Amino acid sequence: MATRTRRVGPRKSLFHSIYIVDSFKGLWITMKYLLFRKKVTIRYPEERRQYSARFRGLHYIKTTNGVENCTACMLCPTVCPADCIHIEAGERADKEKYPVRFDIDIMRCCFCGMCEEACPKDAIKLSGVYDMSAAKRTVYDKEFLLVQRGNK
Amino acid sequence: MPWCLIDGKNVEFSDGATIIEAAGSAGIFIPHFCYHPGLGAPAQCRMCVVEVEGRTKLQTACSTPACEGMIVKTGSERVKQVQKSTMEFLLINHPLDCAICDKSGECMLQDNSYHYGDATMRTVEERRTYADLEMGPVIKKNMNRCIHCTRCIRFGEKVAGIAEMAAFGRGGSTEIATLDGAELKTPYAGNYSDICPTGALTLKDFRFKKRSWLLTKTAAVCEGCSRGCAIEVHHADGVVYRQVARENLRINRYWICDEGRFLYRYLGDPERVRQPLVSGNISDWVSAAGVAREMFNGGRVMVLAGEDLTLEEAKELLDFVRPAGAGIFRFGTPQVCAARDDGDEDMILRRKSKTSNLHGLQQLGISAFDGRPSGTVLVVRGGRAVIPDLGGCKVIGAGVFQGGETTDFEAVLPGRAFLEKGGSIVNCDGIEQRGVSVVPGPAEAKGLGDILRLLGRGGD
Repeated sequence: MATRTRRVGPRKSLFHSIYIVDSFKGLWITMKYLLFRKKVTIRYPEERRQYSARFRGLHYIKTTNGVENCTACMLCPTVCPADCIHIEAGERADKEKYPVRFDIDIMRCCFCGMCEEACPKDAIKLSGVYDMSAAKRTVYDKEFLLVQRGNK
Repeated sequence: MPWCLIDGKNVEFSDGATIIEAAGSAGIFIPHFCYHPGLGAPAQCRMCVVEVEGRTKLQTACSTPACEGMIVKTGSERVKQVQKSTMEFLLINHPLDCAICDKSGECMLQDNSYHYGDATMRTVEERRTYADLEMGPVIKKNMNRCIHCTRCIRFGEKVAGIAEMAAFGRGGSTEIATLDGAELKTPYAGNYSDICPTGALTLKDFRFKKRSWLLTKTAAVCEGCSRGCAIEVHHADGVVYRQVARENLRINRYWICDEGRFLYRYLGDPERVRQPLVSGNISDWVSAAGVAREMFNGGRVMVLAGEDLTLEEAKELLDFVRPAGAGIFRFGTPQVCAARDDGDEDMILRRKSKTSNLHGLQQLGISAFDGRPSGTVLVVRGGRAVIPDLGGCKVIGAGVFQGGETTDFEAVLPGRAFLEKGGSIVNCDGIEQRGVSVVPGPAEAKGLGDILRLLGRGGD
């Protein structure tokens, strides 16, 4: 059977087929956003974006009068689906039970916020800090987590 | 057998059984605090009340004997109301420190409050507080958490045979303490923590180590003496955190001694030999086994089998040693050479033989070591038997050793301890019990069968 070919669609004139009008239409959109609209990008890292108060970013341990709220009850490592929180409990004079070690393996963390939800002492919180990229694998320890507050 | 009707269920019971026992045998749980099957029923916590048809007042299930044809309701509205009130009353003074308390997760007060109590609290008064006195090396007391169930007082009187604990003061400010504030003397003090329904008496050894819900619980047998008590090993990630008593009415009822309770410590002892040693230096299996094999096949050999080996291991050792023509003897506790020397150390549980399988090895026909070593000595033991004086002999060790014990040994081949291998042991009453492997043990340790194969084969 012989094969027949046929062009479908409107036939374009030379004027249409070089797209000169469409190019200017597109350029007009670009110029409109450049000249007349508000900028959507920010100058990161000098400028930071403000996320909502419910944003789940980097963890921190809340303190009250300089003493960590955490009592090492182990509810956060129990509930953690990524198994990224490691706590060792101890005893000291001013506090019956406190975390000697409190490590968060941030590479495992999925920022679900269940640790914050489970905490009976309002100790572990998720801040608004969202830039946590690092050159090597990072485990955040207690000393680091105690001073991270972000914008909270 | 007489029968009664509990929650519409026909329950048969033996004569003299109380309602709580009859219900328990039928799988009906009645909440309680002061009642303990091993300690009797003072019926003072009022948590176990049930409604008995024909009796106006609610009855305490722990102290009321079940009668023929009795109709009992454990969940009627009246009962629920009383349980709720009892829980509220107990929680008036109980601190809300479950986050800190070691008992949380296995606490009767927590469980009963969850199932039978009210979620809200009406009291606004301050809670009573106590200053806690030292209770000795085993038990940590936190009197604020006490609910005055008097189980500990009854344990001292009825089981430990020493009335150390007593209730001082009265009413809500009753304080449970030792007489004159003395430290606990009984060698069964760990049981105070087991029976305490709240976190008032907790183990110092286990303090803040792990939360109870993160532990895997495996039934096992204690290897501390020839009694062979039933224990439950609580472990996580291959580490044993504690041992508690398991009910076995034929052997230890509900109790274990402190020596058995803390026996697991030698498993994770930093001094334990975990790698093969040659003349006291860390080596590898190939060279250590080579040295041992040369010694073993190079002359007269005497084999000493610890009485802490399992029956399976002892049989394996016999099959290996007897064709080779070596003499095999057992060793264990000094001065306890045979089953007839093994007697009760006290009137409760502890036995004189501090190794688990003296009776089993004797049944296998292995005779006791007479104290005269000769030639090369192969010492096989599970970590508990006391190594006798081997004056000047060349010694190969196979099994579990602590660093200080192996200074004179030519070669040490690390083996597995009882909780790491499982096997059968025969206790002082001839009861054979089988243990299972609970934790994997050190990476380099081998089972006795593998060690013997390495010793027997020429080159590997």
